[in-house]
Amino acid sequence: MENKDAWDWEISSGTKWFQWRLSEIWHYKDLLLRFVRRDLIANYQQTLLGPFWVFLQPVLTTLVYYLIFGRIVKVSTSGIPPILFYLSGILFWGYFSDCLNGTMYTFLQNANVFSKVYFPRLIVPLSSVISHTVRTVIQLLLFIFIYLYYFSQGEITGSYYMLLTPVLLLITAGFGLGAGLIVSVLTARYRDLDYTLQFLLRLFMFATPVVYPTSIVPEQYQIFFWLNPLTAVIETFRAGFFSNEPVYIMHLLFSCVEVLLLILVGITLFKKQELKVIDVI
Amino acid sequence: MIAIKAENISKSYRLGTISAGRLREDIRHWLKKQPVEDHLVWALKEVSFEVNQGEVMGFIGNNGAGKSTLLKIISRIAAPTSGRAFGKGRVASLLEVGSGFHGELSGRENIFLNGNILGMKKREIQACFDEIVAFSGVEQFIDTPVKRYSSGMYMRLAFAVAAHLNPEILVVDEVLAVGDVEFQRKCLGKMKEISGRKGKTVLFVSHNTQALLNLCDRVITLHKGQLIDDGKPAEVIGSYLKNLQSDYLYQEYDTPDAAPGNDYIRIKKVSLQYDTELFDIRTPFIIRFECWYADRDPGSLIAGIHLFNMAGECIFDVASKGAPLQPGLISGECRIPGNFLNNGAYYLSIVFVKDTTTRLFYFEGCLSFNVEDYRENTAWFGKWMGYVRPDFPVILNQQDVV
Repeated sequence: MENKDAWDWEISSGTKWFQWRLSEIWHYKDLLLRFVRRDLIANYQQTLLGPFWVFLQPVLTTLVYYLIFGRIVKVSTSGIPPILFYLSGILFWGYFSDCLNGTMYTFLQNANVFSKVYFPRLIVPLSSVISHTVRTVIQLLLFIFIYLYYFSQGEITGSYYMLLTPVLLLITAGFGLGAGLIVSVLTARYRDLDYTLQFLLRLFMFATPVVYPTSIVPEQYQIFFWLNPLTAVIETFRAGFFSNEPVYIMHLLFSCVEVLLLILVGITLFKKQELKVIDVI
Repeated sequence: MIAIKAENISKSYRLGTISAGRLREDIRHWLKKQPVEDHLVWALKEVSFEVNQGEVMGFIGNNGAGKSTLLKIISRIAAPTSGRAFGKGRVASLLEVGSGFHGELSGRENIFLNGNILGMKKREIQACFDEIVAFSGVEQFIDTPVKRYSSGMYMRLAFAVAAHLNPEILVVDEVLAVGDVEFQRKCLGKMKEISGRKGKTVLFVSHNTQALLNLCDRVITLHKGQLIDDGKPAEVIGSYLKNLQSDYLYQEYDTPDAAPGNDYIRIKKVSLQYDTELFDIRTPFIIRFECWYADRDPGSLIAGIHLFNMAGECIFDVASKGAPLQPGLISGECRIPGNFLNNGAYYLSIVFVKDTTTRLFYFEGCLSFNVEDYRENTAWFGKWMGYVRPDFPVILNQQDVV
């Protein structure tokens, strides 16, 4: 009777470091999908263009970058049609920053629900990442549509490496999620981190090959660029679709390891702090 | 079989704001692995109890006694500072209704959203969807975004979802204190039905002693974070009221912000006055109250006084006539003659009703007092029977002499 295994749940002051209880998330999968649906529906309520915003954002950004970096500053795109070059960078950068922004406020934005109802808190960041994945996949279809046009013109050739795209998306989402989980715990305690991070995020975009190829970076600085998991992701994507550069598989594997470590740290910290944070919000 | 077991649960909160000093404290705490003792408030101290499966357990206590904190810990929303709680079975907690409602989404979407948040599966919600809609009474607006709902409709929809939860353990915190009288009755009925189901364990926090008496199998009293009483509802509630209400003849608040009440009514002052030195059965007294009335849509206002004895039985229920009062400060009084109440301890509640049907505010147990006994020319001192002790003359005549 008093056997500890007989209890379905337990709550105590000390949370164990690696008690993730991921099976519980499976139990709450309906809620996960419901949150995704809510995000997708609620975002475009009372807007004129509705879901078209999914396309509009990357298209407008691409046009602006094309004008500024392509026409005025004249940055190299290493032989890739500029529109596709910028669009590919913007897709992955946008995906990363959406995932990060969608998860880093988990506690601040849900303080009210979190202080009234129990469900695995990880559901919230996971659902945010999934709904951004849906948007990104739709944007990717747009990319493929434009790509096929250029392809039919015979201007570009791809390689089988383009089949790595799902892996690349996973790495990007993992990077955003892992960093977002860590930041969500910290911003809940110290609000000013938020401003600092938004500022750093804007700078970080320029340290990522969104508007330029890594090949124009001087040799001695390249090592720092490859430390950024997104560099390998975007470069591999471009190499797969445009065969403009060799594919750096080792760099990509290194990015994978980085992101896995980040997720490990992120989930651990998140699970460890999820209850304590509620007291200080 | 035990459904919930709480072992020495304590919970402290840190006072103060988050600042650079806060970060320093955090780091110090982290390095030394010991709690920072200054600025701690204890919401719960060493609370232990067990709840059997199928038991309906009530929690009673003053504001700040730790009831809500305890429910939060049982609901796994907050972690205790020390101690542990275990449970068997799925817990659904209703610490508020409509958790996670999204204004932009339709009533239909929100039923599913809220149901999922409360731990229901999509299938379960679909199975009782029509029932939920019928119970809420918002059929017509089910595809309208809930931000366009009136607050009453919103509440009804939210409660309707909650009422159709079917967990093994249900945790409820005073959600019943919302809505109009008819809706409250509906909610209490539903609560009673849920708690009556076989094998259902319910934990229920309320200030409504009548509801607790009616619904619970067992009641626990919390006082300043400690468990001070645990037993049969009638006994526990009786002694709670007795302790709470040893002569509470006066309450006054300087500003509406600090005063008890809601958006419609805020209590400025309630008092019970009498002229004699001792308050006994012969003493006439006056109940006076003042309140700020801030209804944006004022109607005909009625104030009523409910007088209860310590067993929670209502002695009388008197009400003013409806008056078309404007927002502002309002006062009222009720004179009770002497030689009316029997001796004993009493408490009273004041209710404010608009247009004879909408309850604006129920100021429960706001005053309490003891009526002392008084007897002349008698050698008998047993308990005088009856709720009231009027001085109606009983005349004795000698008709004939043998």
